[in-house]
Amino acid sequence: MKTNWKYWIPVCFVAFWGLIVISYRYAKPRYKPENISDLLNDFSWLINWPKWLDFPLMQPINSGFDWLIVEYGLIFEGINNFLLGLYTTMKDSVVALPWPLVVILVIVMTYFVSGKKMSTTILIGFCTFFIGFLSPRYWDKAIMTTCIVIIGIFLCLVIGIPIGIAMARKPKLRNTILPVLDLMQTIPSFCYLIPGILLFGLGAVPAIIAIFVYAAPPLIRLTDLGIRLVDEEVVEAADAFGASTKQKLWGVQIPLAMPNIMQGVNQSVMMALAMVVIASMIGTRGIGDEVLLGLQQLNVGMATEAGIAIVLLAIIFDRVTQAYGDKIQDKTRPKNIKKV
Amino acid sequence: MNNIKKVLMSLSLLGTILVFSTSAYSACGKVKLGDFDWDSANVHTAITQFILEKGYGCEVEVTKGSTSPIMAALYDQQLDIVTEVWRDNIVQQIEDNIAKGNIIELGINTPESGQGFYVDKATSDKYGLKHVNDMKSAKIAALFADPEAPGKGRMTSCISGWTCYTINLVKHKVYGLDKLYTNFDPGSGGALDAAIAGGFKKGKPVFTYYWEPTGLMGKVDLVKLNEPAYEAKCWSEMMAVVEDIKANGPEVYKPTCAAAYVDMALTKAASTRFANNPANKPVLDFIRKYTIPTALVNSSLAFYMDESGGDMEETAVNFLSNSNIWKSWVPADVANKVKAAL
Repeated sequence: MKTNWKYWIPVCFVAFWGLIVISYRYAKPRYKPENISDLLNDFSWLINWPKWLDFPLMQPINSGFDWLIVEYGLIFEGINNFLLGLYTTMKDSVVALPWPLVVILVIVMTYFVSGKKMSTTILIGFCTFFIGFLSPRYWDKAIMTTCIVIIGIFLCLVIGIPIGIAMARKPKLRNTILPVLDLMQTIPSFCYLIPGILLFGLGAVPAIIAIFVYAAPPLIRLTDLGIRLVDEEVVEAADAFGASTKQKLWGVQIPLAMPNIMQGVNQSVMMALAMVVIASMIGTRGIGDEVLLGLQQLNVGMATEAGIAIVLLAIIFDRVTQAYGDKIQDKTRPKNIKKV
Repeated sequence: MNNIKKVLMSLSLLGTILVFSTSAYSACGKVKLGDFDWDSANVHTAITQFILEKGYGCEVEVTKGSTSPIMAALYDQQLDIVTEVWRDNIVQQIEDNIAKGNIIELGINTPESGQGFYVDKATSDKYGLKHVNDMKSAKIAALFADPEAPGKGRMTSCISGWTCYTINLVKHKVYGLDKLYTNFDPGSGGALDAAIAGGFKKGKPVFTYYWEPTGLMGKVDLVKLNEPAYEAKCWSEMMAVVEDIKANGPEVYKPTCAAAYVDMALTKAASTRFANNPANKPVLDFIRKYTIPTALVNSSLAFYMDESGGDMEETAVNFLSNSNIWKSWVPADVANKVKAAL
């Protein structure tokens, strides 16, 4: 795509001067010289960054945020109640189950999801048992953490994969969304955790939202990449057989992109787990508060023990999603090519 | 001969310059201040820093962090002065380290700080909530419903790991609130503030543990609930249970008596190595005299939040320009230098 620079350069230039004029106008009087012409007599403002050259972004964001809470409070309330209802039903029903049953359920699930791989199943069984074995306190908390991660990942899948597919098909859309993804991945997590409390209150919901912000980008990127990496010739062949766009997408592109998409899901899950630990700092119950409590009391042993429990949880999530990805890959691979 | 004279002259001249210049700087060397991650501590640090730099000519280095690491660095003599210590929350640590000779205390920085259970004014007026006993009803608890614990109300509490969390836990049991309310750990100071501010923005009832002086306290209308009055004997009986729970978990709770938090004075502290150096005496004298009433701290914090645009140095300048209280902390010549710098 060629950008028409002849047209854009003057626009950028005008916008830049506009911003400087705005910053000067909105600066407090005590920061400014009495007369604007003083700037030309006294050049001291060229040495230290002058206080009037400060774009006023903080106030509009604050008032915008207040406006959001007042005007759209009901919508956020609705989202909050929906996610919270989902979380509490899920958590309460799993916590109510006897623990051996939960371990067995995890083992059975792994066995079928991994395509009946014995080694993975045994490893996962041990990891699950060891979470409670490390400290009985961890068992319920690990379930809470798992529920939050699963709901967060569900949001990522439902919203992220369609966005990834759309990006792969429309380069213009990709160019607009990529910077947004960069922003989501680099902005410090507290910048959205604390406003999340103002909107949703303390607890699980701001954590779920934070998981979406933090963990959706790798899934979106890998979905987009996976679909674009599908062999041109295969798509052409599908065209030659007269496949419609829809048939091409569901019958050719998505199945062939599945290994990449599953890799994205795996990355998302890992990042979600990292975020859920940080979220303990905004009152999200789960295994992260054990780490936080240990650190706040300078109890290194306690923090490390809880850290190991989180690693076990991560191994479970990682192995299950990887094994499922491998299984799908086996399915889509042509039968006469040997597995590498 | 002439040349030697010239050399000698210039050498002696150089010597005098060196002597003068060192004497000008030896009044104060480098001072390392410890600062915390809450706003009232930031205000005190900013004011102290301004006076030390402009009045005493010190080179000031500020290190900011949460309670545990900053206090550990002070005990370890890596920091020189901390201008706001919430002494009662870490009383055991402080007394141990004074006994070991790691730190000395330098008196009170803000008299009459408060902490306790608060309810927003609108709800308090509507339902007549003035005392913790007024909270003991399922109907009232339903106002503060905890979405994650159906059937219970939620009191946003202190951060778990801080002693006040366990104190609140014991108080809930003693006052009979534990059946009706969760003692909810907000995870961090920022999250606690946001939970309170969010409640006010949405016009929802707020029931929380909180403390002052804080900037937020100047902006929202919270009413402190009365509790049985503070009494040293009762408090130490309760603290024995609290320490036991901290060490052995909530199962070891024993019925005890409970009382309001004492209006605690926030103190200042210095590392012994810094305090024992005679060259630092003028700085220590100033820190000893430093004290600001709670109302003034609250108004400085309100200025910081609303008018300064988040600039702590400007907040310090504003305080020093509009109040004369600080002139009694320092000798006249230092006061003049600070004034000139404003």
